[in-house]
Amino acid sequence: MDCRQFRENHCAFVDDTLPGIELVGMQMHLTECEPCAKHDAIVRRSLMLFRSLPTIQPSSHFAERLEQKLEQARISDELMARSGRSRKLAATVAITSTAILGYIGFSLPQVDSPRDITFPPVVALAPVSDPVSTMASSAPEMVAAASAGLPIWTAAFLAEQSPVHFASLEHANTLR
Amino acid sequence: MTSIARKQAVQPQGANVRERLRAMDDSAVVTAFLGGEERAFSELVERYQTRLLNFVYRTIGDREKAEDLVQEVFIRVYRHLHRFDRSKKFSTWAYTIASNLAKNELRNRSRNPLVLFQTVQKNWQDDDRPVQFEDATSRPDDMYRKRHLREIVEESVAKLPEHHRNVFILRELEGKSYEEIAEITDCNLGTVKSRLNRARNSFAEIVAPYMD
Repeated sequence: MDCRQFRENHCAFVDDTLPGIELVGMQMHLTECEPCAKHDAIVRRSLMLFRSLPTIQPSSHFAERLEQKLEQARISDELMARSGRSRKLAATVAITSTAILGYIGFSLPQVDSPRDITFPPVVALAPVSDPVSTMASSAPEMVAAASAGLPIWTAAFLAEQSPVHFASLEHANTLR
Repeated sequence: MTSIARKQAVQPQGANVRERLRAMDDSAVVTAFLGGEERAFSELVERYQTRLLNFVYRTIGDREKAEDLVQEVFIRVYRHLHRFDRSKKFSTWAYTIASNLAKNELRNRSRNPLVLFQTVQKNWQDDDRPVQFEDATSRPDDMYRKRHLREIVEESVAKLPEHHRNVFILRELEGKSYEEIAEITDCNLGTVKSRLNRARNSFAEIVAPYMD
């Protein structure tokens, strides 16, 4: 056995899990190889040191704190279970109501869709022409002749200065 | 009078139950708990609190935090025991939870080292303070004499890489088999052996100067 093999098997050697032949080989190597023997001794001693570390004990209030935490856990689990139940109930109600609405929607008699709206024909009557109203509604000739580009006040001034001749139906007839 | 008599009748019965639970193996205690015997959980806590505390403490190096994590282990056990596969060992399951919590703790610390330092520093007792290796006046033999070897060993364990340390503690401190360690750490057997070998060699190298 060489040093490399010894190091590879050393873990199992320390744990006494090597098969007989390999165990003998390891022991033989220990007697022949000083560095490996030293390595073996250091590892075993260091492990002994580690295993002899004092164990720590839980603090005095460990159990009390744990009991409090467990109580909180029980309460929160209970609440979770309750909210889970109410969520299930809400989901059931929602599904049921949707199903009922759907059923109502489908089971109602189909209403005819509205056709094109037909309005009654529009009847328009031509108003009888009234001469008075025609005259009243007709614009004075002078105003119609006024230039669009003139300011209003000038037009008004001119209108004041000029003799007033309102256009009338009779006047129009005479002009023809 | 009647209530006192009733109490006296109940107490021996309770004591009997506790005695009976103490005599049971883990699997039977778990079955008793799942069967509605609340005292069975106290029995599990009694059995594992110190072992788990030492395992977590050696892994993360902070006693107060280790206690919190062990409490968290028991809360998880309490909540999820009904899901536990009873064909497996309870101890392996409990150690797996503890190992995962310790790993998470170390991961969180590595993300926020400043918080770690402040937390640990606050929690240090005179007795828990690690040895100052930088101090030139303190020699290894002085440390032996001053009973500081424990701190050196603890410091050496802390220096191991996390996945090596975990395997190392489970094997050397908790005496777990390779198979159990493989299950707890979710590794294959070969990885466990290789990690353990490396961890032992590294630990020996670190501690060796203080042993001569």
